[in-house]
This record gives sequence, structure tokens and C-alpha cells, in this order.
Amino acid sequence: MEWTMTLNEPGKVCLMQGNEAIVRGAVEAGINFAASYPGSPSSQILGMLGKIARERGFYAQWATNEVCALEACIGTSLANARSICIVKQNGLLCTADALHCGAQHGVKGGLVIVTSDDPSAHSSTNEFDSRFMAMSADLPMIEPTTMQEAKDMVPYAFELSERYRQMVLLRLTTRVCHGRSNVTLGELPEAPHELKAVGEWDRLVCVSYRHTPMLETLDSLQEAFEACPFNHYSGPEQPKKLIVAGGTGRLYAEEALRRLGASEDVGLLSLASLWPLPEKLIVRYLQHAENVLILEEVDPFLERNLQAIAGKHRFSIRFAGRGDGALPRIGELTPELVLAAAASLVGKTLPERKSAAEPLLERELNFCAGCPHRATFHLLRRVLRREKNPGVVIGDIGCYIMSSQEAGHYAYQACNCMGSGINLAEGLGQLTAYGLDQKVVTMCGDSTFYHAILPGLVNARYHDSNMLLMVLDNSATAMTGFQPHPGTGLTAMGDKVAPMEIRPICEAMGCKVAEADPFDLENTEELMAELLQEPGLKVLILRQPCATLKSKQQKTRPHVYVDQDKCLGDGCGCDKFCSRVWGCPGNSWDFTKNKAVIDPVSCVGCGVCAKLCPAGAIVVEGGDES
Amino acid sequence: MLSSYALDSQVIQKDLCTGCGACQGLCNYWGSCRGRTIGYYDCERADGRCQRFCPRMPTDLAALRKKAFPDEKIVPEIGPFRALYLARAADPAIRGGAQHGGVVTALTELALREGFIDGAVLTRAKDTLDPDGVVVTDPAEVRACSGSSFQIPPTLAALNRALREDTLHKLGVVGTPCKTLAVYKMRHEGLPENDNHAGSIRLVIGLFCGWGLDWDGMEALTKRAAASGAAHVDIPPSKYHSIEFAPRGGGDAVSVNLDEVLPLVRPACRACADMTAEFADLSVGGARSADGWEVDKKWNQIIVRSKTGEELLELARARGVLEFKDAPDTALEKLKGASMGKKRTAVRTLRERFGGLDYLAPNAALLPAAEE
Repeated sequence: MEWTMTLNEPGKVCLMQGNEAIVRGAVEAGINFAASYPGSPSSQILGMLGKIARERGFYAQWATNEVCALEACIGTSLANARSICIVKQNGLLCTADALHCGAQHGVKGGLVIVTSDDPSAHSSTNEFDSRFMAMSADLPMIEPTTMQEAKDMVPYAFELSERYRQMVLLRLTTRVCHGRSNVTLGELPEAPHELKAVGEWDRLVCVSYRHTPMLETLDSLQEAFEACPFNHYSGPEQPKKLIVAGGTGRLYAEEALRRLGASEDVGLLSLASLWPLPEKLIVRYLQHAENVLILEEVDPFLERNLQAIAGKHRFSIRFAGRGDGALPRIGELTPELVLAAAASLVGKTLPERKSAAEPLLERELNFCAGCPHRATFHLLRRVLRREKNPGVVIGDIGCYIMSSQEAGHYAYQACNCMGSGINLAEGLGQLTAYGLDQKVVTMCGDSTFYHAILPGLVNARYHDSNMLLMVLDNSATAMTGFQPHPGTGLTAMGDKVAPMEIRPICEAMGCKVAEADPFDLENTEELMAELLQEPGLKVLILRQPCATLKSKQQKTRPHVYVDQDKCLGDGCGCDKFCSRVWGCPGNSWDFTKNKAVIDPVSCVGCGVCAKLCPAGAIVVEGGDES
Repeated sequence: MLSSYALDSQVIQKDLCTGCGACQGLCNYWGSCRGRTIGYYDCERADGRCQRFCPRMPTDLAALRKKAFPDEKIVPEIGPFRALYLARAADPAIRGGAQHGGVVTALTELALREGFIDGAVLTRAKDTLDPDGVVVTDPAEVRACSGSSFQIPPTLAALNRALREDTLHKLGVVGTPCKTLAVYKMRHEGLPENDNHAGSIRLVIGLFCGWGLDWDGMEALTKRAAASGAAHVDIPPSKYHSIEFAPRGGGDAVSVNLDEVLPLVRPACRACADMTAEFADLSVGGARSADGWEVDKKWNQIIVRSKTGEELLELARARGVLEFKDAPDTALEKLKGASMGKKRTAVRTLRERFGGLDYLAPNAALLPAAEE
């Protein structure tokens, strides 16, 4: 898809994903600098920017974390650079301090923060509505509905940012990031935005007296948003019934009104400028309304703010939305939900719904076939079961978050945000000197290690907390799609650089470090058990490449199969250990023979199940590795 | 009920698990660490060998006895009975490393040497600590297993693994009463679909047992009493009210008051009604006679319970590996009394803890009434 990003044919129509549209918009805006830490649903943006950065003369970076990314962008703004920072909702929360300070000192070169929210938390631990960050930091925020808008809003956001010398937030949601529609290309600039030397008296300093000018900037932006070209209205001039939609809500509303035949009777106000809200525009349509339905992703942000505006103007309106039960309080909007809410607004009954097929089976999230984490959590379970008192395990953010479920034998008791595991464990580890007689274990992936574990590790080491940190090093930021991190020796722009090894970093801090291969079941189990008995802080690096990554690199895969004559099946001594307990998707069940079978499509040939099979019925033959 | 849940809820959670290892070495689900039986994962089978073999799952001992000893005379207090002997190993070297008279070591060596058995499942400790089950096929390795550890290791896990491998077909097993009961359950109450080659068990030698101790507690106690490790630990007759640690490398034995030891007794052992290993071909323990402790502690008493046991003992007599002396007339009565004492303690413990006989319920008729 990269070719559509750099194609200089204005007017040409291309099918684009929302994330691609953002990339194209950034290129059309002539950005100089882009930085991000991967996070769904917007992970692809910086990956694509990295691939075209050289060609378009800008710099792109997978930063170590979101704070690094945003603060680097703020730095480049001093040199008049146009910079774009891409984060997901949790990443935006990470940047909270930088964001609030940055709002107070403003910018010189344009700075656009693309923040992607994940309603229903499909690829997140939690839903969060980034609009509250705009409100909290007094920053302008806009939100596209279509892919075309996603592209067009990027140059628009840069213009706003430079005109008002303020950062601009561009909010996306999953369906906009991942949906595809036609986008008409704009012109590409001949060169990126012009850099200017940092002047002696240029100032981006957060000081308290900047608060008032910041609020005045917000007032000016509110005035500008009254005429924001991305706000739309359709329907009667003085609507009694009104739908106010932000983001995806607009398209769902248009479809619902069309199906209900109510497009002529119901007003539809689509707001792209989310903060500050264009109050005059809103009042124009609100003042005659009796019933208002608000369609928005995640929280009742518009709903509460419109209620405040209605209150201020003493309108008597019945509001419906996420806040009042017309729509679910959590989760993504869907066409069906919006149709039901719109039908209730219009006072019509719903057309009968045809159900398509049998519902799919509900399945828990699981590690991929051959995933080294499966072995790690098998061993952790065994080692902790040996303890007289059950251990405490603290999770963190990465693929291994799935260890909270059957895939990891319900491994951990707590998991907060990214990088928190070491600190939760640090606190508990200190309590072991005060009567807490349990072993404390936490974990992080290699990417998470650099992202936010390091300060916690310094703290835990300096205060010698009695705990074990397992670094699950699979040489990848696997959860979000194999983006490079400081341990990989690669950059977003494809450069090979010196990797930063985890072990020497830990050793330089003075940590006791051990390394093991989770597939070496017996030795690693013993090492884990020994480390748990040692007092103080221990780091165990469990190294085995991500199965997905490895299977891409393998030329020939080992052939794994079950000798069904030996297989005990569900008999005593096994009881389907491979498919039921070990639970790798490659270990399947032959219902005709009541024996185990390897699913040749899923199996990557790691061979660990063969080591675990109590009957020695699983055979591994050939391949690069066995 | 799921097998793993049955064992966990009816045995382990109730502190009835003896740690014998009968549930282990069969599958990936059960294991052991420092005397504690561990369920790594849940097995979803409704019936399994683990629960069938467990000596603390309810068992009708009279029925089992009928299957195992159909023609033997049963002495109510001590089980199947052919004869009682006082004996010791003829070889002083065996006696030197033995708990008492070295009878078990001598008989096991003999059985292996003469092909009476082709492998022996024994318990081997390091200086009386960290014991574990081993399978010995070379008679020369038997002596390393002499002497008692008061921690209870899962010896039967080693038996189960050996039976699963199916390379030895005349196995001998030496163990405490909980273990030998489990072995007879393996032989006679196995899972029809999978007998785990229990027919390969040829000989069972039981060890008299009062109780075992908590693994960690015993380790701490031993290290305190004998800093360099103990070469030998023994409990003299009850009037001494002590446990004695003989330091490694010689020197005077260190005596520790039994009051310090009793809190370390495995709770499961308080609920055990078998002192003399009533399910065995031969049961062996320390001698108790009018000669006194200094003499008795170098001798064993042997209960012969079966034809197999008698054959081995006759072979020992013929080969001269044992020396015998006449058992005093009072010996049997004394043994019965001690055995009944343990049964009473078990009944009292179970009543106190569970308000009834719990796992011994099927055997109410065989048991004494608890003393008030």
C-alpha cells in the first residue's frame, strides 16, 4: 500500500484504510518528524511512515515509549518542524504530564497528536475516551468520520496548530483506523516543511503564567471551530428531533435514518470539532429540539457537554445516549444499536431482523501455536505449586497478558498498566520482610522492558525488593505486529543499529541475572525454582523467539505427529494433557478415534508437546530445529 | 467427582496425605516437593489410579485383606500373621549402617542377588535428610538406602515410574505402612482399563512406623542438633521421651526432648491406624524386649505375613545372612499393645478432626473404640 502514500497524482481516487489515510495526510502536510510507540488500532501508521520517510525527506522513529515520542516531537517543534506523534488511548495517558505542560507552553512548528481509541477494548486492557484528555489539557481535538476526512484533517490540524501555536489532537477510533473507503489524493509538497533555526528568544516553557494565554487560545479555537469545515448538518432547519453524532456515529445515523425513512424529519448534526465545542453551532440546532440522541464512541462526552449547554441556555430537552440507557454504557456502537436508538427517537418500530448464521463458538484468547510464553507459564505454574504458600504473580502488558486466562493457567493476580508489574511486585516484595510469606513474581516482555520497566527496575534494585522479574524475551513487539525496539537492532526507517542487550543493562544496575530457554523444560524449571529461593531482586531472562516470527524464518518446519497407538487419549495417565491442559492450538483432538492429533496447519514444530506427552506418543521429525 | 478434586478435597486439604507418592509418577498431574503432594493441574477423569491407589481414600481393609491374604491367619491387632522373629543381619558392616539390626538391607540384598526380585524400590536419604525413592537393581547399591529418614518421601512415585517403564518384572518394595497399603491397592484395586503392570510387584517389605515428621521441621531440627549433619536418627522406647541424633563423623549422640518433636509430626500420621505395615509379605521394625534398649536397638523384629515372606526368610536362613534369636513370650503381646495404641490415636484424631472415622469409616468393625 506504500505506493499510494507517495503517489503524486492529485485527484486520483484510492481505496485506503483509515491508518493509511493518516499517513497520506501527514505526507501531504509535509511533516518533518514522526514518532510513535506501537498500539492498536493505530500501530500501522508509523510503520508505513518509516518505510517512506527517506523518500519524503522526513525522520520517523519507533520511540521507546509514548513519552519519548511526544517529547521528541515537542523538541522538534522548536525548530519549526511539523511533527506527528501517534499513540493509542493508553499511550496518550502515558504522556499526560508532557501533554498538560506542552499545552501550557504551546508549540512553534505544528504538532499533531493522533490518538486512537479502542471502543470495546478489542486490543486493549481498557476503554478510555481520549476526549477527556483534550478537555483536561485545554487542547483542541478533532475527529474524522470517513477515510477522506482522516486524510484531510491532518493538514488542517497542522494549519490550526501553527496558527494558534498549540498542539492539536486528532482522535481516531478502531473502525476509522481499520475501515477502508475511497480517498481522493491531494497534492504532495515539493519538500517537507521548512525548518528554522531555534531562535535565542524562542520559548517553549511551561510556567504558571502561561495558563491564561492558553485559555485565550482555546477561546480563539472555539471561535474557529464554529466554522470548522468538517462539522456537518442535514435535516430540517428547526429540528424537533435531533441526532448529534461524533466520529463513526454519523455514518451509523445516516444509515439508520435512511432505513427508518426519517432523514427528512430528524436533524443530524455531525461534529468533527470535539473540543472546544462550537457552542453557537450547537445552540442553533438545539434550541428547537425536544428530543436529542447522542451517538459517540466510548463515554457520554458529547452528551454531558450538550446537556451543560442546554442547561446554560435553559432549553428543555430530553437527551438520549450512553448516559441515559438508550445505548449501552460501554462498548462499540454498531449499526444495530444505533438503529434501535434512532427508531426509539423517531417513534417507529424496528424492521424485523434476519439472523444470518449460527453464532460462532465463544473462545478464550490463547497464545499462538508454538508460543514460548506457553512453556514459561507452564513452568511458572509448576514452580509456584511447589511453594508451601501460593506465590503472588503480577502481570504486565504484552502478549503474556493472556496468561491471566486458561492459556497461562490463570497465572497472575494483578495487572495494571504497561510497566506497572515491576512496581506492584516491588511493593509486595518489600512486605516479605514484614510477614508476607509468599514468593513475588512479575514479568515483562522485551519491548515493555525498555518502554517502562527500566525506572521500576532501578527502584526495585536500589531498594533490593525480594522478588523475581521474568523478562519474556521473544525478540519482538509481537502483540502489535513486530515493530522494532531497542533490543532488535533495527529502526523504523530500516537502519541496522547496535542493539541494546537486556542482560548487560540489568547487570550494570547490579541485578542478579540468569538466562534460560523456556523450551528447555527441566533445566528452566529448576533454575526458576532456585531463583525463587534466593532473597532479594532476581532477573530471569527467558529467551526464545516469537513463534510467529520464527515460523516466518524457518525454511523447513519439523514434522510433528501423534503415534495414536501409543497415545493414551483421555485415559488415566494423560486425560488429553496436550490439547486440554497444554492447550497449544497445534494440539488437537481426533474425535473419531478419541486420540490426540496434531493440527498440521497450526503447528509450527516447536516440539515442546512431545517432551510433555506422558506416553511419548508425539513424534518430531526433521526441520531446521527440533 | 473428578479424581484430582477428590484427592485434593478428601485427602490433601484435610491433612490426611502421607506423601507416599502412590498418586505420582503416573501422569503429568501429580508431583511432590519436600514431602508435600502437589496437584499441578486438574485432571477431569471421574476415576483414576491416583485416587484408587491413595491409602487415605476410603478402603474396605477387610475386603482387601481377603483378596491379598485369603488363607492367612489374621491377628486383629496386627493383621496377617505367620510368625514373629527377632533377627539381625549377620554381616556387621550392614548392621553398622542400619537403623536397627539391618534385616531389611540384608533381605533386599539377598533377594536381588538370588533373583528373588529383579529390582527394589527403596528410599535413599542424604545423611538422614532429603530422602527420595530409588529403584535399585544392583545388590551393591542397597546399603546406600539403609537407615531411616523421618521425613516421608514419595517413594511410590519411583515404583509407579518403574512399573510404567515395564522393564523390571519382579519388583520388591520397601516402605512404611501407608506405602505398603497403597501397593496392595495397586495390586488388587487397580483401574481395570490400565493395571500399570501391577503384576510385576513380587515382594513387599513393610516398615514399622509410629509417625513421620514435617519435612522442613525435621530438616531444621536435624541441623540444630547435629550441625554437620546426622549419620543416624532414632527414637528410643517411649520411656526415654526423646529423639537421638548421632552426628556424622562420630561423637556423642544428641538427645532432643520429644516435646519439641511432636508438634512436627505430620498431621496425616496422627490419623494412621497401622503401625506394623499390615499389608506386606514381611514387616520389620525395631526390637522391643526385656533385654533393654541398648541391646534391642541392634536387633529387628520381623512379622512374617505371607508365603512369599516366609520363602524369603527361609532363603535368608539357608544362606546365613540373618542371625536369629528367640523372641520372648511377651514380644507378641507387646507388639499388639503398641499397634492398638496407634489405632486408638487414629480413631481419636479422626473423631476430633472430622467428628467420625472419615477415611477409615468402612472399617469401623476392625477398630477399637476411642478412649475418652
